[in-house]
Amino acid sequence: MAEQRRKRPGEATFAILMLLVGAFLTWQSLAIEGEMTLSSPAAFPLAASVMMTFAAGIVVAKTLRMPVAAKGLAANARMLGAQILPLRIVIFAGMIAAFAGLLGPLGFLPASFLFLFAAIQFLWRRHPAKTLLLTLVALVFAYGLFRLAFQVVLPEGIVPEREIIAWVESLFAGEN
Amino acid sequence: MQALEYFAIAWSDPALIGLVALGTFAGIYIGAIPGLSVTMAASILISFTFSWDVNEALCLMVGIYMGGVYGGSRTAILLNIPGAPSAIATALDGYPLAQKGEAGAAIGLSTTMSFVGGAIGIAVLAVAAPAVSEFALTFQPRDYMLLAILGILLVGSLSGESLAKGVVAGALGMVIGTVGLDPLTAQERFTFGVVELWNGISFIAVMIGLFGVSEALAQLHHLDLPKVKQNVGRIVPGWGAVRKYLPLSLQTSSIGVIIGALPGAGGDIAALMAYDHAKRVTKTPEVPFGQGAREGLVAPETANNAAVGGAFIPMLTLGIPGDAVTAIIIGALYIHGLNPGPMLMISQPQMFWFIVGALSLANIFMLIFGLTGIRLFARIVEMPRGILIPLILLLSTIGAYAVNNALTDVYWMLGFGVLGYFMKEYGYQVGPVVLGVILSRMIDENWRRAIISEQGSLAGFFAEMLSSPLSLALFASVVLIVLGQTPLWPKITGAFRRKPG
Repeated sequence: MAEQRRKRPGEATFAILMLLVGAFLTWQSLAIEGEMTLSSPAAFPLAASVMMTFAAGIVVAKTLRMPVAAKGLAANARMLGAQILPLRIVIFAGMIAAFAGLLGPLGFLPASFLFLFAAIQFLWRRHPAKTLLLTLVALVFAYGLFRLAFQVVLPEGIVPEREIIAWVESLFAGEN
Repeated sequence: MQALEYFAIAWSDPALIGLVALGTFAGIYIGAIPGLSVTMAASILISFTFSWDVNEALCLMVGIYMGGVYGGSRTAILLNIPGAPSAIATALDGYPLAQKGEAGAAIGLSTTMSFVGGAIGIAVLAVAAPAVSEFALTFQPRDYMLLAILGILLVGSLSGESLAKGVVAGALGMVIGTVGLDPLTAQERFTFGVVELWNGISFIAVMIGLFGVSEALAQLHHLDLPKVKQNVGRIVPGWGAVRKYLPLSLQTSSIGVIIGALPGAGGDIAALMAYDHAKRVTKTPEVPFGQGAREGLVAPETANNAAVGGAFIPMLTLGIPGDAVTAIIIGALYIHGLNPGPMLMISQPQMFWFIVGALSLANIFMLIFGLTGIRLFARIVEMPRGILIPLILLLSTIGAYAVNNALTDVYWMLGFGVLGYFMKEYGYQVGPVVLGVILSRMIDENWRRAIISEQGSLAGFFAEMLSSPLSLALFASVVLIVLGQTPLWPKITGAFRRKPG
């Protein structure tokens, strides 16, 4: 039976977290202003969050009944690190978070350059010159396709892109 | 005659033809790369098309969808790694064929059969959708509500580890969909006093996070898998082979269309059911199933592409997505100011026939690209994941940012990416969350309309529901799905079985 598989490390904690989120959302639905009737704005959110809490409760009960992944806190933490959160994933997630954080202050081009270079070097592990070349090619392609062809607005940051684009355009205009 | 004119729009404009071709091409290659699913591609690329004309955006989407569903089969056959969930069943017999050195023949057959399935799916869409939408005009608000709930439950129960986990995911999605100002009364819901939350959480950010970022993180587990190379010979199949499997392909296409048309169930389930059907009806396969039976290749490949046309039926006629990709397309239509549902077919029939036209065009491009370019294909698929994953993240970020030009959406994407990663690791499906977000408003509004028309009486609501055959059937399906997953079910069926004895 599917239920008889071993619990994955952290699975029970996650199930309990979902239950808590459900309970919190239920409490918040009750806090939605206005009279509580079947057609009030709070009715559907309340029904959905109660449903979530109820189902999450069943999941918690089922998960707690599963055979444990490992005995002891230290062994569990080791398994969590090996199976669910290997260092590679944690570091990479950190890189994405840093990328998102730098996107505003630095702008798309420098932040993406730093992220791509660091991430590809970290995951692909080849000579940095190779990574640099690849990063530049990818960045030129992404910028050309999305910013120039699709006209997607990207965070500008420290690179005065608009001025540069205008300057390049004026060069071509001057030639004609 | 008018319909034919609308149908031909996509066929007569070179720019639109180009976009369908580009979409199909991209879909095939994205679908083929393990770890890049068609849902992921659609959710990321859709954000770039919001500023486009709706016809152009639709052409690209339709192409990606058609190509992506097919593309997954290639890596399933060559590497035993299904490029997409809809190709899981394809790997069962496709890979053994490749091991015998018949990879070329397997790819050729799967391509041709995908084309046959796709064509049947589109034909059924063209014939059935107008009738369904006419019927849908008689639907009451409660029927829409029940259909939407049915869709979320079906996704949750058919594809996940357990219904309870599916409900947790679907309900979470529904709550996320209600964040912001209530569309009817402008009452704040789950905004915590933050003005930025008044417009709700961008569903594109939720989607890219759950389908794109979480999948990219999960792929990091498989970074060190060794590369497998395959030699591929002649791939265009002979006419004899096509004729031989035509009867089976017609049956499995019907399965594909029907499953695809069920709200929430898509190509992956259609393919598995078709495979099962082929196993049952093929009494004497040349090679046993699982060891390279061609029937085992034909069945899932026709069914998953037939499901594409099928999935468009509930989407265009009822506004309820047939699967995750059509959920994304519905979101795109909303943003373009279109409201999928029975009224769309009446007020804007050109939209419907345009989509049918674009789908048929995509199906033809799929056949052309599927039977050519195998060398380029091998190079792209062998791209190391260490390069691919950072690139996916870059695209996801651009996509999440592009919709509202807001960094907040990038943070939402990240948050949902991490949540989606844990959900996948612990056996929760992320599909129901997205479906919940998309359908939340439909359920909320229709519930309130239904209950207001009964003057707030729950008894009146149930009395009306039980007296309408359609509502009753929908309600019974919802109850059966829930009951079917509880420990009560074996007892109920046991009691029924014992009675006659």
